[in-house]
Amino acid sequence: MTNTRDQKIQAEARRLLQDGVVDVVIGFTRGTLPYRMQPCFIQEADETTCLEMNGLCSNNLAIYLNHRPRGERIAMVVRGCESRAIQALVLENRHARDALYLIGVPCTGILDLQKVQPREQDAILSIQEEGDQVRVILSSGEKLLNRSDVLHSACVHCNHPVPINADEIIDEPGLFEERSFDKSYLDAFRGLTLDERYERFREEAERCVRCYACREACPMCTCEECFVDHSRPQWTDSTICPAGQQAWHIIRAFHQTGRCVSCGACERACPMNIKMTYLTDLLNRDVFEEYGFEPGLDPALMPPFLTLGQDKEKFTAQQEGQHAS
Amino acid sequence: MNQTRPAIVLFQCQYCLASSVDQYWVEHELPANVKLVKVPCSGRIDPLYVLNAVQGGADGIMVCGCMPEKCHYKEGNLHARRVLAEFRNFLHLLGYSQERFVFHWMHIDERGVIQSLLKDFEEKLEKMSPPVHLKTRAFSRENA
Repeated sequence: MTNTRDQKIQAEARRLLQDGVVDVVIGFTRGTLPYRMQPCFIQEADETTCLEMNGLCSNNLAIYLNHRPRGERIAMVVRGCESRAIQALVLENRHARDALYLIGVPCTGILDLQKVQPREQDAILSIQEEGDQVRVILSSGEKLLNRSDVLHSACVHCNHPVPINADEIIDEPGLFEERSFDKSYLDAFRGLTLDERYERFREEAERCVRCYACREACPMCTCEECFVDHSRPQWTDSTICPAGQQAWHIIRAFHQTGRCVSCGACERACPMNIKMTYLTDLLNRDVFEEYGFEPGLDPALMPPFLTLGQDKEKFTAQQEGQHAS
Repeated sequence: MNQTRPAIVLFQCQYCLASSVDQYWVEHELPANVKLVKVPCSGRIDPLYVLNAVQGGADGIMVCGCMPEKCHYKEGNLHARRVLAEFRNFLHLLGYSQERFVFHWMHIDERGVIQSLLKDFEEKLEKMSPPVHLKTRAFSRENA
């Protein structure tokens, strides 16, 4: 089963550990279920043979940087979204880039298990990737699907699958080449009326069970204490009521303004299949149109909410609009 | 329902009203339908406070802060403007019309402006039908 991509990752990880360049390599290995991949932390060179990377690696590894001890030298197998998350976290002074060694892998996209398994009674026994196709063995039989049909929506709308600012790029073909900022899929949502937009949002938010898996999966949710965990003062309803569910989705998304790297890990972690990347993508699109900023791309450009600008043109226009109205 | 006056939440920076007469009016003589949230600086207004007002049934939100370069804390108002303007866009996308959420950056020379601003805003809100979206907390309290 080992392909050349995995072999190259393993060889690189082995070299880094043997030469003592890093203390730990963070990557993916097979999980306990046949179609699940789980993150792994490898400290011995002999153990590197379990490292793999494929379309079933649904987590964003950048989150584990927040949990590792300070001063540890870390190597990480990164795809496009992970490298951008790390870049954004480095900009926010969460991590020192010098202590990290990034093994970049051009991303081939992550599979959406919901699209693979259309009927609830079907259990997935195995998933194999064969080039542009995916062979799925279900309890009811085997089927061959087009890879592009079962990609996760965040990967379909991804603009930068190639890792940014990596120390080394594993030279294998990725999903596609870079493209400039394109979130045109949001036009449909923005074209709806006020009532329809609220209705869409309400339908998604009312399924929320407040498990906060989206927060735990998100590399950019780095607060020491989340606003929903506060009990004194209690900032918002913490029960499963419409007010609390909507407040969680609105404020969670708003905290990601100009920070979200659109990896979609929140959606893949959600047990209720709630769509939520459209919220952060809407905000990111506003930020891009207003300030020309895209999270995690430019190592020198600070996020707009961390910098304070006079915004003279925008401000005077606003002021004039006020007096006119 | 329409006989009641629109509920307005006024977020006011404590330094933005240069005239003590205006400040006295805001603190003691506000109409009953206006709720005052006085903050040390407009930069202190977290989007969550605004959202709580919206969910609690506010028909309109008014934010009063200082002009740029006139902030007591140097640049709190610059932060507020970037963040709250974006939050207003976001709420507009989710069903709370942006016309219900207004900013006024007070000039230091302005005297007796806040009264007319509130009156105009109230008249504008009266012409609109009351907001039905995102008013989740007020709704659940009525049902309880």
